[in-house]
Amino acid sequence: MAASDLYLGLDVGGTHTDAVLIGDKGIVSHYKAVTEHTNLLLSVRRAIEEITRDVDRKKIRRINLSTTLSTNAIVEDKLEDVCVIISSGPGIDPDNFRIGKSFNLIEGSIDHRGKEVKGIDAKAVAGIGSDAVKKKIKTFAAVTKFSTRNPDHENQIAEKIRSSSDFITLGHKLSGQLSFPRRIVTAYFNSAVWRLYNSFADAIAGGLDELGISAEVNVLKADGGTMPFAFSRDIPVESILSGPAASVMGIAALCDITQDCVMLDIGGTTTDIAVFADGVPLIENEGISLQSYPTLVRALKTRSIGVGGDSVIRVKGKAITVGPDRKGPAMAAGGNEPTLVDALNSLKIISYMDTGASAAGIAAMAKKAGLSAAKLAGGAFDCAVERIREEVQAMIDGINNRPVYTIHEMLEGKKIIPRKVYVMGGPAKAFREKLAGAFGVETVLPENYDVANAIGAALAKTTIEIELYADTGRGELIIPNIGVRRKIASAYTVKDAERDAKKHLASHLKEVGAVSSEADTEIIESSSFNMVDGYYTAGRDIRVKCQIKPGVIKRLS
Amino acid sequence: MIKAKNSMGLIFFPAFDWAISPTHPEREERLLYTQDQLKEEGIFDIDGLMEFKPDIATEEDVMRCHFCFPDVATVTTESHMISAGGAIKAARIVMDGTVDKSFALVRPPGHHAMKSVHGNRGFCNINNEAIMIEYIRDHYGTRKIAVVDTDCHHGDGSQDIYWNDPDVLYISIHQDGRTLYPGSGHVNELGGPNAVGKTINIPLPPETCDEGFLYAIDEIVLPILSDFKPEIIVNSAGQDNHYTDPITNMNFSAQGYALLNEKLNPDIAVLEGGYSIQGALPYVNLGIILAMAGVDYSHVREPDYNKSSLRQDPRISDYIKKLKDVVLQAYHNPPEYDDLPPYGQFMTRKKNIFYDTDGIRETQIESIMRCKECSGLYSLETYSTVCSLSLGIEFPIGACKSCIKEGVKLLNSAKKSGKYNTIQVIDRVKKEYYRA
Repeated sequence: MAASDLYLGLDVGGTHTDAVLIGDKGIVSHYKAVTEHTNLLLSVRRAIEEITRDVDRKKIRRINLSTTLSTNAIVEDKLEDVCVIISSGPGIDPDNFRIGKSFNLIEGSIDHRGKEVKGIDAKAVAGIGSDAVKKKIKTFAAVTKFSTRNPDHENQIAEKIRSSSDFITLGHKLSGQLSFPRRIVTAYFNSAVWRLYNSFADAIAGGLDELGISAEVNVLKADGGTMPFAFSRDIPVESILSGPAASVMGIAALCDITQDCVMLDIGGTTTDIAVFADGVPLIENEGISLQSYPTLVRALKTRSIGVGGDSVIRVKGKAITVGPDRKGPAMAAGGNEPTLVDALNSLKIISYMDTGASAAGIAAMAKKAGLSAAKLAGGAFDCAVERIREEVQAMIDGINNRPVYTIHEMLEGKKIIPRKVYVMGGPAKAFREKLAGAFGVETVLPENYDVANAIGAALAKTTIEIELYADTGRGELIIPNIGVRRKIASAYTVKDAERDAKKHLASHLKEVGAVSSEADTEIIESSSFNMVDGYYTAGRDIRVKCQIKPGVIKRLS
Repeated sequence: MIKAKNSMGLIFFPAFDWAISPTHPEREERLLYTQDQLKEEGIFDIDGLMEFKPDIATEEDVMRCHFCFPDVATVTTESHMISAGGAIKAARIVMDGTVDKSFALVRPPGHHAMKSVHGNRGFCNINNEAIMIEYIRDHYGTRKIAVVDTDCHHGDGSQDIYWNDPDVLYISIHQDGRTLYPGSGHVNELGGPNAVGKTINIPLPPETCDEGFLYAIDEIVLPILSDFKPEIIVNSAGQDNHYTDPITNMNFSAQGYALLNEKLNPDIAVLEGGYSIQGALPYVNLGIILAMAGVDYSHVREPDYNKSSLRQDPRISDYIKKLKDVVLQAYHNPPEYDDLPPYGQFMTRKKNIFYDTDGIRETQIESIMRCKECSGLYSLETYSTVCSLSLGIEFPIGACKSCIKEGVKLLNSAKKSGKYNTIQVIDRVKKEYYRA
C-alpha cells in the first residue's frame, strides 16, 4: 500500500454499525453507532460520512463493506418471488427440495461423470416461462443435478427463458461443489435477494460519488474474504452472514495467532464462537446454513449462542439463568428487565450508563427470589460464563469427532486443544478474568477489540475457491463457477490441471478487478484417478481445488 | 429438510491411495463415484444423518480376532487398519447410543480374510466385520450377534472365523459356489461340532433377480433371525449382486438392495465387494443408506434400469423355493457329525488355503476341543509358501477351566518344542492377545 492510502472497513451489524479507517500507521479513526434496522443504507452512508469527515476522501483506496442486507431479507422473508426450474434424474425425490412459490420439476438427467442420460424437456421450460410471465415473476433460478460436471441443461433452460426474465441464477455459477439440494437453495436465495441487493448497491455507488470517493469497493463474505462490488451484483447470496467472519479476521489482524485457540465475540444479544487450529480459522466445509437451509456459501466455522450483555436474567426456584433471549436493552439503558449488563453493573465490574437502575432492578429481583443482590448478580455472571464454556466444549467435541477442515486443508488425526482464548465485543473486558478461570488457559483481550470486526473488514483480502474437473477420457475440462469449459488432450495430467487452475483463477480475478494475484492462489486438493473400462484404462479423472484463502493484507499488532 | 426416521452414522474411508494393481477391480477409483453421488444428493444434510471419522484399528484389535503370520504389520497396510477402524467406529457409535444405525463405507474389504492370515485373498487381508464384532464383544459384553453377508461371493473368511462359535450366527447369501469364486458356501457347510447350524449358506443360482433375493430374505433369513434372536444384526453389504457387476452373474438392482436392507433392518452395515463402480455403486449405496435411515428411496434407480429385462426365470424361482426347505431344515435340525471324538478330545480337520491375490499356498491343521462347558479350546497349526510352521491357540470367550488348563499345557509344550516359527495366543478370558 502506498504511504498515504486509507482503508475503510465497515460492518453493519445487527446491533451496531462499526467503521474504522486504517492508514499506514494503523487506525486513523473509528466510529460506532446503533444500526438503523429499517434503513441500512442510511447507516452505511452516515458511517462513511462521519468517519471520513476529517480526511482527504481522495486518499481512500478501498472500502470493504459487511452488511446484513441479504441476511435480513432472507431471515425476515422479504423475498422476491422466484421461478425455480429443476431437473433431477435418479436419486432422492426432488420434491423434498421444494422452495419458493413457483417450484417446477422438468424431465432431464445427467450422471456423476457429466454424461447426459436424458435431455431436458424444452417444451415444458417454455411453458413454465410463459406461466411465470403471467404471474409477473421476473427472476428465475435453474438448477440441474450434476450441473457442475456438465452445465448444458442449465444453459439450455436459461436460453429458453432469457427473454422473459430480468435475472436468472444458474446453479453451476455458484460453486463447483457437489450438492444438488444446496445448489437449489443457494440459487433460489440468490435470485430472491438480487433486486433488493442491486438497488442497495446502486444507492451506495451513488452515495460514494456524492461524497467524492472513488475508492474500489469490496463486499465481505462469510469466509472472511471479500468480493469485488461489481462482481457481487450477480451473486448477492455470497454476502450473507459475513459479520462473525469480520470479527475472526479482525482477531487475525490484531493478534499473532499460531496455536489452537478459541475466539469469543460477546455482543449484545449473542456470543459468537470461532475456533482456530494451529493459528488458522476453521471452515464450514460444506457451506453455511441460513434459516436451517444448508447453502453452498463458503463460511468460517462459527457458532452463535444466546448469551450477551442484553440477555435477560431469570430465577426459577434456586436456578439462575441467563438468556438465551433478549427482552430489550438493559435496565441501565432504560429497559424493563434485569440483564447480564445490569448484573455486571451491580457487581461494580463495569459502570455502564445508569448503574443505579441496574442496582435497583437486580435488588428487586433478588428480594423476590429470597437471595442477596450480590448472590443473584454473581450467579447470573457465573451462569453466563458456564454456558459459554459448555458451548465451546460442545463445539470442539463436535469438531474433533468429525472430519476437520481449515481454510488450508483437511486435517487428519488432528485433535483441537485450545491454548488461548481471545475475547472481544462490548462486555469482553468484564468477562476476561472469569473466562480465564473457566477455560484454564491464557485469555487475551486484544487492543481495539471493540472495533475488531470493522478492522477485519477493512483488511480482508479477496477470496475465491474453484474446482477444476477434467476427464481425459471424454476430453473435457470444466471450472463451473468461473465459466471455464474446454477440450483437453488425452495426455493431460494433474500437473497441467494444477497449472491451468491457477492460470484461469488469475485471469478471472483480473477480469473482475480483484486485488489478489496468481501469487496468492494455492492448490488445496489435487487428485488423479485412472479410470478403467473393463480391464483397460479409459483416461484419468482429475480434480483440482484451488483457492485464494482468507487472510488480511497486513497485521496491526 | 429431510428427516431420517433412524438416526444414522456414516463412516467413509475410500482409501484413495490403495489398490491391488492399477486396473484391478479393487483400485483407488472404486468409491469415487459413490462419494460424488452421495455428496450431490446432499446426504449429509439429511437431519439425523452424520459423518464420523474412522478410528484406526490397533494391533490388539486385529490380534483379538486373527492369527497373523508372521505378525500384523507384515500382512496389513495403514489402509487396512483404517478400514477395520472404520467398522469399529460404526459399531461404537451404535453401541454407545450416539446413533440408531451405522454404515461403514470402507475399503479394502474383508470377508475373505480367514482366522489365519498370511496375505491377501479375494482382495481381503483382515476381516473388518469380525474385528468389529470381537471389539463389540470385548467392550460391550454383547453375546449373540448375527452376520448376514449379502456379498455375491461366499464370505468364506467370515465363515471360517465363526465356524466354531455358537453365539455368532453367520448367514451368507451368494451366487452358487459352483459358478463363482471362492467356490465354497454350500448348504451343507453348517459350522463346527460345537456350533453346528450356526453357519448358514444360501447359494443362489446365477441370474437371480430382485424377486429371488427378497424371497430368500423373507422366507429364509428373517425366520432364522427371529428364531436365533441376536442382540445385534450386522450386514456385510457387498454390492456385486448387481446386474451390471463385471465379475459376477446376478441380476439384483439398487431398488432391490434398498428393499432388502429395509427388510433385514441391520444395526450396522459394513461395505464389502461391488465392482460396477459407475453403473451400480453410486445408486446401490444411496439406496442402502436411505433405507437404513428410513428415508424414501423410491426415486433411486440406475440410469439404465429396465424392469422387464430383469424379470426372473420361473425355473430360478422354483429352485429357490426348494432351497428354502433344505436350508430351514438344516438350521432347525442340523445333522450331527458322524466322526465326533468323545468330549474332552480334539476334533481335527486339515485345510489347504489358496491366496489368489498374493499367490500364497497355506496348509492348516485346525483342532477344536469337544466341550460340554464352553465353545472349546482352539488351536491351528499352519505353514505356507511365505511362512514356516506356526501355531495359533485361542481360549474362547467363557472358556471352561479344563479348556484353559489344556490350552496352557499346549502352549508350554509348543514353546518347549521349538518347532514353531511363530506362536500366537488369543486369550479371550484374560483379554490378552500376544505372540508367545
